[in-house]
Amino acid sequence: MLSKSQARAFFLGGTGVFSLAFLGLTYDSHKQVPKQTNEDKLTEQVIRGKKIWEKNNCMGCHTLFGEGAYYAPELTKVVERRGKDWMRLFLKDPQAMFPGERKMTDYDFSDEQIEDVIAFFEWCGNVDLNGFPAKPPLGRVAAPIVTTGKSDVPQPELFKTICIACHSVGGVGGIVGPALDQVGTRIEREPMKDWIRDPQKIKPGTPMPQIPMTPEQLDEIVDYLQGLSNNQ
Amino acid sequence: MKFKTQKIAYWFFASALLLLVLQIVYGFIMGFAHMGYDGLHNIIPFNTARAVHTNLLLVWLLLGFMGSAYFIIPEEAERELAWPKLAYVQLISFLLVGVTAVVCYHMNIWEGRKFLEIPRPLDWLVVGNILLFLANIGWTIWNGKRFTTTSIVLYMGLLCAALLYLPGMIDFDNQTLDSFYRWWVVHLWVEGVWELIMGGILCFLLIKLTGVDREVVEKWLYIIVGLTFISGILGTGHHYYYIGVPHYWLIVGGIFSALEPLAFLGMAMYALAMAKKGGRKHPNKTALTWTLGCAIMAFVGAGFLGIAHTIPQVNMWTHGTLVTAMHGHLAFWGAYAMIVFAMIAYAMPLMTGRKLWDTNASTYGFWLSNIGMVAMTGAFAVAGISQVVLERRTGIDFMEVQKEIEPHFFGLVLAAGLFTIGILLFILNFIRYGRPTDEALNSDPADT
Ligand code: HEC
Ligand code: HEC
Ligand code: HEM
Ligand code: HEM
Ligand SMILES: [Fe+2]
Repeated sequence: MLSKSQARAFFLGGTGVFSLAFLGLTYDSHKQVPKQTNEDKLTEQVIRGKKIWEKNNCMGCHTLFGEGAYYAPELTKVVERRGKDWMRLFLKDPQAMFPGERKMTDYDFSDEQIEDVIAFFEWCGNVDLNGFPAKPPLGRVAAPIVTTGKSDVPQPELFKTICIACHSVGGVGGIVGPALDQVGTRIEREPMKDWIRDPQKIKPGTPMPQIPMTPEQLDEIVDYLQGLSNNQ
Repeated sequence: MKFKTQKIAYWFFASALLLLVLQIVYGFIMGFAHMGYDGLHNIIPFNTARAVHTNLLLVWLLLGFMGSAYFIIPEEAERELAWPKLAYVQLISFLLVGVTAVVCYHMNIWEGRKFLEIPRPLDWLVVGNILLFLANIGWTIWNGKRFTTTSIVLYMGLLCAALLYLPGMIDFDNQTLDSFYRWWVVHLWVEGVWELIMGGILCFLLIKLTGVDREVVEKWLYIIVGLTFISGILGTGHHYYYIGVPHYWLIVGGIFSALEPLAFLGMAMYALAMAKKGGRKHPNKTALTWTLGCAIMAFVGAGFLGIAHTIPQVNMWTHGTLVTAMHGHLAFWGAYAMIVFAMIAYAMPLMTGRKLWDTNASTYGFWLSNIGMVAMTGAFAVAGISQVVLERRTGIDFMEVQKEIEPHFFGLVLAAGLFTIGILLFILNFIRYGRPTDEALNSDPADT
């Protein structure tokens, strides 16, 4: 049977060997990280964004690289998922976008700070994370109806930058909301206007946010959506 | 109790229990926020509640470890503590740092890195404080009548914990490196040096409560902490899978972290074997129950629930979801909260001279808190697995999924209520013991 001094040697020896191995791998990681994380793109702006991220403890609600809290969305790929224009709008007033939902703190960011934060997320989104986050394998299999995506009028700017983050047209766009190719066949002009103006009023708790726009922009968008179904 | 200065432990334990209650309050705030009741958002937003919850956890556990050391070290070294007054100064200053940090979190002042949120100037105060503590017990051991393995392991654990705090204070512009060194603190603490502390305390309790020969108990202590480091150091890799460091960490981390449960399994088998083998029947059964309970729950929470998501192929889906919170709760409870409770249950009768170990409050305190914690773990598990399937595997939007799993947080809050009743009963019993007194010197019923 093992004696106490042998047991101690096992402890000290094991600790020594594996500490050295760990330090060796740490050294090697340091050499590879600059390439794997695109350190050449780590600009002053990205660093300012990171400081904002830390100073406000955004990690206390969100995860980034899968680390943080489980209360608010994972943000590694947020630029890819939502697009920069959507993020500008959201970060300007986070609670207006999703009234009545789980709240994000309103930080009163200046336009410059918002650009810094977005630059930081963009840098994070380009780090090679060995495949994380993986694409959902079970996906929403019922793929959106792919159509021509043509309408009577061209796609309005607001639609191109904001709505497309969640909706697809002609198979292009986000998957948070339904594809809108044939929405005009189901929803008339006026109800559609009411919905887009204030989705929460029509259906409290819906994930579709209220997006601030002028009446002209609203008309443009509804023209466009109604026009889509004329071209199927 | 054999030495007057061991009484100092009482004040550390009392402060620890007070902070635990506060931690639980903030836990409930988060539980309700997850259920959709975030009415406190403007005063205590979620990130504040979370930072307070987890930091108070660390502070009260450290206070519990320090109190345990102040009780154990004089007894092992067979002399009074070197500088008793310094211990009180250290307690009060540590509490002040903790309270300041909590106040800062309510004012949006922090460093914004999970578990290491405290503002930088306070980091330095923590380091200074821990140095005072280490000097005090170090000097006591150095000038003691005997060196025991138990006290050396305990001391090494505390010393390394202090050293490993330092890498967490290096600043990096690169988020990946920031995260890399954050784990030197968080992982190498809970899956490394803290296990030394836990092992040291466990060893002391087993020697006292079971009467098994010190040589045997301490020999196995070396084997177990050896296993801890052999698996745990490279096991850090299980946090390096997806943060932007090379791919080989998936292999290194996967293999070595999968071995980590061995140390916990060893700990559980060792505690049970010693209890079975022990001839002497110590009358303080509650302390033995907490001790054995700790070894078993640590295996379940850290070992079993740890290995459940440590394989890279699984972690790809569970990484950063409520599955992690499930594991975090039972692991911290089983391994570290319960060892502090075991130590309190053992030390209180000796410090106060009163034998309140088999009261209803102490028995129900044990069972309700443990059943409550297991149920909380269950609620987190259901919420976490649903989140993984719906959000990560099916691709449904994060917030939509959160609405879907709100009911599980109702379950969580119910379970937490049960847990809290158990804790309050334990505290009630603690209060009934009263204050420590010199009349309790040499009153260990096991010695007579
Ligand atoms: C109190 C918790 C909280 C804090 C703190 C917080 N957020 Fe959020 N954040 C949220 C919630 C909740 C949402 C989701 C809102 C919704 O979809 O209804 C969100 C959404 C976001 C989104 C959009 C994500 C998406 O995919 O829709 C971004 C970007 C974001 N937050 C950035 C930040 C940044 C940057 C900070 C720190 C300056 C921060 N958040 C701090 C709670 C928080
Ligand atoms: C954050 C994601 C998001 C954004 C941005 C968004 N939507 Fe939506 N939208 C949704 C979701 C989710 C639904 C489904 C709502 C429901 O059923 O509760 C929806 C539903 C709709 C519907 C009804 C579709 C149907 O088939 O019933 C229309 C029309 C619509 N959105 C138009 C818009 C327009 C126009 C914009 C841009 C101004 C926009 N949405 C921006 C998420 C979004
Ligand atoms: C007492 C010991 C332990 C404690 C207190 C503990 C606690 C925790 C905590 C709090 C986290 C969350 C950390 C964060 O995201 O910042 C975590 C993560 C993790 N733990 Fe443990 N743990 C312990 C032991 C173990 C063991 C033995 C294993 C493996 C067998 C393990 C596997 C993991 C894994 C894989 C993660 C990462 C989860 C993710 O990707 O989100 N843990 N642990
Ligand atoms: C009794 C009431 C408690 C409730 C309601 C509660 C609830 C919560 C909630 C909701 C979270 C945040 C999860 C998220 O980010 O969304 C959390 C985090 C955490 N809690 Fe608790 N908790 C309680 C008690 C405890 C206890 C007693 C411990 C320790 C033994 C503990 C340890 C932790 C840890 C370590 C984390 C961080 C987990 C992680 O990052 O993965 N909690 N808790
Ligand atoms: Fe770990």
